[in-house]
Amino acid sequence: MTQNIAQILAGIAAGPFLGGLISGLDRILTARLQARIGPPVLQPFFDVMKLLSKEKMAVNVWQAFCAYCYLVATAISLVLFFLQSDLLLILFTQAVGAVFLVVGALSSTSPYSQVGAHRELLQILTYEPLLVLVVVGIYLETGSFKISAVFNWHEPLLLKLPFLFLALGYALTIKLRKSPFDLSTSHHAHQELVKGLLTDYSGPFLALIEVGHWYEIMLILGLCSLFWATSWFGVIMLVSITYMLELIIDNVSARMNWRWMLGYVWAMGLTLSLVNLIWLYQG
Amino acid sequence: MTVEMLNAEQISAILIISPFLAALVCYLIRVSAARSFVVLITGGVLIISAVLLIPLTPFSLSPPPFLGINIHVIVQTLDVLLLLIILYFGFKYRHIVIKALALLQIILLLYCEFFLIQNKQDNSTLYCDHLTLVMVLIISIVGAIICFQAIPYMKIHEAHWSPVKSRQHRFFLVMMMFLGAMNGLVLSNDLMIFYFFFELTTLCSFLLIGHDKTKLAIENALRALWMNSLGGALFIAAIVIIYPITGTLALQQILTPANTGAKMFMLAMALLCVAAFTKSAQFPFQSWLLGAMVAPTPVSALLHSSTMVKVGVYFILRLAPAIKATFLSQSLAIFGAFGFLAAAALAVGQSNGKKVLAYSTISNLGLIFACAGLNTSESVMAAMLLIVFHAMIKALLFLCVGAIEQRIDSRDIEDMRGLYANMPLTALITVMGVIMMIMPPFGVLLSKWMAMEAAASNLYVIFMIALGSALTVMYWARWAGTLMSDPFAGRFRPEYQPLLTWTALGSLCTGAGLLSISAPWFYIKIIAPVMSGPYFPPYTVRDGILENSFGVFAVFPLSVVAVAGFVLSVWALKRASGARIVAPYLGGAQTTEPGKFKGPMNQTIKAEARNYYLSSIFGEKKLTTWINLGAGVLLTLLLGGTL
Amino acid sequence: MSVIDKIQTYFRKKSPWLLHFDCGSCNGCDIEVLACLTPVYDIERFGIINVGNPMHSDIMLVTGTVNHRNKKVLLNLYDQMPNPKLIVAIGSCALSGGVFREAYNVIGGVDKILPVDVYVPGCPAKPEAIIDGVVMALDKFSREKVKEKGYA
Repeated sequence: MTQNIAQILAGIAAGPFLGGLISGLDRILTARLQARIGPPVLQPFFDVMKLLSKEKMAVNVWQAFCAYCYLVATAISLVLFFLQSDLLLILFTQAVGAVFLVVGALSSTSPYSQVGAHRELLQILTYEPLLVLVVVGIYLETGSFKISAVFNWHEPLLLKLPFLFLALGYALTIKLRKSPFDLSTSHHAHQELVKGLLTDYSGPFLALIEVGHWYEIMLILGLCSLFWATSWFGVIMLVSITYMLELIIDNVSARMNWRWMLGYVWAMGLTLSLVNLIWLYQG
Repeated sequence: MTVEMLNAEQISAILIISPFLAALVCYLIRVSAARSFVVLITGGVLIISAVLLIPLTPFSLSPPPFLGINIHVIVQTLDVLLLLIILYFGFKYRHIVIKALALLQIILLLYCEFFLIQNKQDNSTLYCDHLTLVMVLIISIVGAIICFQAIPYMKIHEAHWSPVKSRQHRFFLVMMMFLGAMNGLVLSNDLMIFYFFFELTTLCSFLLIGHDKTKLAIENALRALWMNSLGGALFIAAIVIIYPITGTLALQQILTPANTGAKMFMLAMALLCVAAFTKSAQFPFQSWLLGAMVAPTPVSALLHSSTMVKVGVYFILRLAPAIKATFLSQSLAIFGAFGFLAAAALAVGQSNGKKVLAYSTISNLGLIFACAGLNTSESVMAAMLLIVFHAMIKALLFLCVGAIEQRIDSRDIEDMRGLYANMPLTALITVMGVIMMIMPPFGVLLSKWMAMEAAASNLYVIFMIALGSALTVMYWARWAGTLMSDPFAGRFRPEYQPLLTWTALGSLCTGAGLLSISAPWFYIKIIAPVMSGPYFPPYTVRDGILENSFGVFAVFPLSVVAVAGFVLSVWALKRASGARIVAPYLGGAQTTEPGKFKGPMNQTIKAEARNYYLSSIFGEKKLTTWINLGAGVLLTLLLGGTL
Repeated sequence: MSVIDKIQTYFRKKSPWLLHFDCGSCNGCDIEVLACLTPVYDIERFGIINVGNPMHSDIMLVTGTVNHRNKKVLLNLYDQMPNPKLIVAIGSCALSGGVFREAYNVIGGVDKILPVDVYVPGCPAKPEAIIDGVVMALDKFSREKVKEKGYA
């Protein structure tokens, strides 16, 4: 019981703290890749605190509801992860947040919000099958959907599930909102849809969404970490290398359109997943 | 006689016979207030009887001869009469396929009656285990609620449409008759009696779809009639094949594992599967369900989402133990998963609200078929849960769309944009229904989770389910967002709807929510007892958490947290009312009128948006041919594989 | 100042987000503003991001002259910025109309429409001056100045 409570608290805390730090590191490294110096590593925290101190302003009150639901759903999914619960359940809980983000954006009549929301729906459509298939692959290998089984497994999952890790990489790129898949909203420069999905959020509600996004980052990186769960060193190395690759891909590619994203990611991701799953199935 | 003294035989009689009596009364009495009263009373009686059935389950019994005549003889006579009525409609509308199928069925039925079936005595004509109980509960409770809502709905429907004479008496005649037929169908253990009620539901569906008597309605009603008659013909053909093998028509005796694997037996099972597909509007037989959406919305809610289309899946779940570990079961799983994926894809390309609901129904039914085909304990439990929750929530959504359609005169999702401004409570209930369809910890997602975990070992099935599940999120989220699309509406003031409408919507919504939260106890009390024979209860329950060796779903804790999160978000919403409201960002060109901006030449232009329906990829016209082709191939595989 | 006010001021200074609006200038000042984002000056070191959305921004940088058409746009954008907010007028056109002061459609500088907090002169203003001006504006996030403006 006390272990459960410790896990819950760790899950609730890890999102803002670790997620914010990783976000800050992201910005510094991106800046260095662009021959700039970049902000201090605690900058995301400064941003969130500043946003919380701004005037409460909204396009409609429903957006406040959706922002809170998004934060709560992503926090719950990370807590479930820390509780070593069922992977499929975690996926579905995380999807709740994503849907509320879309519904909140659709509630604003600005075209930027609307198009951003639809692009976000298409992004969800793109990555969700891949995440499910990755989880199925983990099940076929370890015999269970529970994260506790992954931690008890004798060898790193990456050895048997390499293609599924690549498919997870596609989902990671989309989830982290990195080019070429930063269609609905992106971090730094404003894009053709202004801020897309998040255009009409402001002040404290935007802060909540940012923190929710940190929870999502932690969750998806947590999923990556499962692929070398046998040692702490392995986890850190795998996650760091993956994240660096994401940053490099972000900086070398341009934003593409949703047709290309859907076609390419489904073609590549589903094929890779299928091949890996057939391997696991036969073996 | 107190209620405790009612035994199973009497309750079954009430469940089956009383709706028929009520139907007759509704037809004969032309006073609408009296008719409404009869409907309300019958609904109440059905609900109470169904609940009283719970402690009596399981049971099996044989009703005594009625007026000295054996029940089987009565049923077969009525059956011939029914087929003659269908034949009559075939002649009336000059529809050759209906004529042919009706004739075929009459011939086969008479052959069965006079030449094939030797002993007409059977020990158990009615059989009720917990699967039947679940179906009876759905039919009686959800069906009654839908009929309650139908009372104000049909009044407004006829006021809009103003026919020469009111046809409500006909409407309620058929609706009540249908409820009785459904109860009879799920309670029957004898294949012939099942077949009779099967055909009776076909006739009811035909009459209700064609209720408005417009050209489109009649056309779609005829299509429904011939497709369902095809199912009926396959059914009676399967009976002709089965009887020589088993010597009995009692389902519980037919479904022994001894028969599994015998070639002709499996062929009969395959024919029964295809009959179930026509009833549940799986591809390539889906066009009748799409066309049936022209019917008044209570019809869509009752027949075409909660009950009649569930006949197919209920029957397959009945057959499931007999086809375990056969090729038929495997191909059934793949066929079901294909239906799930294809219908979800088609729903993405639809902007007509009722068609989205129809495709979603076909999709979920496909998933239930897939679960039945997978034939493991987890998947069968997933199928049962999905039947229950889908019936409740889809009925809720159809009733919402019906109420919306009557107010705004359109069923297109685009016209529901910003519905919150005009119909806040209905919009909220619809959004709640959508949330209960796609989100944890609610029942539909619980069953989907269970289905995916059960399917994970079957590569084809899980692949299609993963894709279908992602598509499902897309079309539901899009609809929910469109309903709430509104530039700030001020204080929440619920709009006016008739009391019965609010009762129906409210009871379905809260009922589904409460049932979702108490899913673990529902499982223990009602579903686990079904898990016998080749199945075992797949999950253990501890503190409201469902768990087995490879999966865990914390239903109750998550529900508590979800409710807490909801309360927090509502509090945030209330606090946000103090926020400064600004116009959405329109490049600085917005004017003081909401949603309008200053365009070229200083003209005021309204900012319009339309949803992505992706018709170039997911359009109905584009995909249907290919999907029907694929389904045809899979069906051939299913049938041919048994030979 | 109470503790909360001190904390809020600190974070507001550490993370100023800009909205850059060009009222119709020759783009000289705009190029200089964008030059601040380049690796040469790199204002992201100070946590400054150029968001294009008034609802996300704290400081509005305005260049160019205000005329009868874009004054409504300026007011709309200013209205959509959440408080506390600051205006920085950049370049001589934004200060007073610059060389176009006498034109028939020009109203004048930005302060004819909005309450400007910092004026950055120049034609075009140098990036160093712009950065200086923004940093000077940040000082106005302190509580007393915010209360003065009535942002409570």
